[in-house]
Amino acid sequence: MIHVQNLTKRYGQRTVVDGLTFTVPSGTVTGFLGPNGAGKSTTMRMMLGLTRPDAGAVRIDGHAYPELRYPARHVGALLETSVPHRSLTAAHHLLWLAQSNRIPRRRVAEVLETVGLTGAARRRVGTFSLGMGQRLGLAAALLGDPPVLVLDEPVNGLDAEGIRWLRELLRSMAAEGRTVLVSSHLMTEMSLVADHLIVIDRGRLLAETGMADFIRRHGRTYVRVRTPEPMRLNSILERKGASLRPAADGSLEIDGMPAAEINRLAAADGLALEELSTHTASLEDTFLELTGNQEDPTHV
Amino acid sequence: MSETVAAIRAEFTKLRGVRGTSLSLLLFILVSVFIAALGGWSAKGAIDSENPGLRSDFTPEQAGLDGVLYGQLALIVFGVLIVSSEYTSGMMRVSLLAVPRRGRLYAAKTAVTAAAALAVAVPVTIAGYLVTQLALGPHGAPIDASGVPRALAGAVVYLTLMSLFAAGVAATARSAVLPLAILLPMVLAGSQILSVIGATKEMVRYFPDRAGTEMLTVDSNDAATGFAVLLVWTVAALAAGYVRHRRWDA
Repeated sequence: MIHVQNLTKRYGQRTVVDGLTFTVPSGTVTGFLGPNGAGKSTTMRMMLGLTRPDAGAVRIDGHAYPELRYPARHVGALLETSVPHRSLTAAHHLLWLAQSNRIPRRRVAEVLETVGLTGAARRRVGTFSLGMGQRLGLAAALLGDPPVLVLDEPVNGLDAEGIRWLRELLRSMAAEGRTVLVSSHLMTEMSLVADHLIVIDRGRLLAETGMADFIRRHGRTYVRVRTPEPMRLNSILERKGASLRPAADGSLEIDGMPAAEINRLAAADGLALEELSTHTASLEDTFLELTGNQEDPTHV
Repeated sequence: MSETVAAIRAEFTKLRGVRGTSLSLLLFILVSVFIAALGGWSAKGAIDSENPGLRSDFTPEQAGLDGVLYGQLALIVFGVLIVSSEYTSGMMRVSLLAVPRRGRLYAAKTAVTAAAALAVAVPVTIAGYLVTQLALGPHGAPIDASGVPRALAGAVVYLTLMSLFAAGVAATARSAVLPLAILLPMVLAGSQILSVIGATKEMVRYFPDRAGTEMLTVDSNDAATGFAVLLVWTVAALAAGYVRHRRWDA
């Protein structure tokens, strides 16, 4: 569990993090969401003792990060700006990290295997692609088998297969009861992996809620239907109070009625459906709207 | 305490893996021994041919310490790189995540810098002296000649302190370019040139390298003073570096 209490950071006149208070629960993946420049990375650096807050504090399972004995065994961290020296090999980088926290040497090979870099263990980090570098950063975070993970934009640079692998990994880590905090500026990515959501903008908390709740409140859910007889379906559903919209590709988008209900009504009328699928649309738009339309407090 | 030992061990592993730092140590060994051999060999030729080009204050004992005087440039590069490589690559943040107590990380790095410099300085200083005497042939001096053991020990201390001084300057600057641009010309020529100009002569005596080289001057009367002056410079540079390191918002 991570407790953030009244966290504040100013750079000169600019308040980057402004009185943030939230809790990251264990046993679930928590998405830390906000547009670029919202203060996510600064918040995470303060969590990890890299940056000194002007006010407030962060407790990770009751401790400030710098007070942790062998912190890599408690918290696995990945930051965008924390990269190993180019001339180190992947295995050598993980080796010194392991030694610094008295982590058994065998873990180096284990985490390289986990992230799929076994074949690149002896290669210098400078020759790595963005995705490989990101995998090495994740390997470093996993090295101490920590109960808490703090990952800043971990999907950056990963390919589609890598992103899917990461999602599974994070979910399984959370299922084991760990605390997993993952930042992103992409709402759709978050909706695929996080169960819990913390949304910030301009250093302030906008929402702290369950993902399902957030989508219910802010997302638009509709059902996409394809049928050879759209006019007939239209008249059936409109009688029941649903609203239909023709989409560009010839399908219909239906608001205000669950897919099962649509299917039941169509079947009762002997109407064939070629496609029936539920979509959560414009989550990204909703998120942008949520963060974009805020009154700028500095202008008041 | 065991956490500090772990941090020191990790710093040693880093040193071996980062190309610049291990390479600069190797360069120190090669340059020192090469110059030591070359200096001895050319001096022997000069003596044998009664060439007047030989320095008037030439002694075979002092010539045996010339190698490390050139080699120290590589050791200064080492001191700068062991610190600056972390700041310029972003690895310092990884290091701080692993060892978040800033004092502990800084102490571990300083200890490893000193230990590594000492570990190469001892054998290279002795080997350099012996190589020079070997090249001088019949004109060579023994290693236990008067004042030589003290000068050799002084050279080792000097080299170690200069590495630490360089590391402190690099930590203060958090980069490599500026410290190297100041330190290398200073050691290479700067204080030499300033020391012959009347107006700056007195001042230059208190420059770290000028003062420090008294330590490795055979039969110098100012060895202790030189040591004290260089020690003050080194402690000051390391302290300034620590203040900058501790205050850094990574």
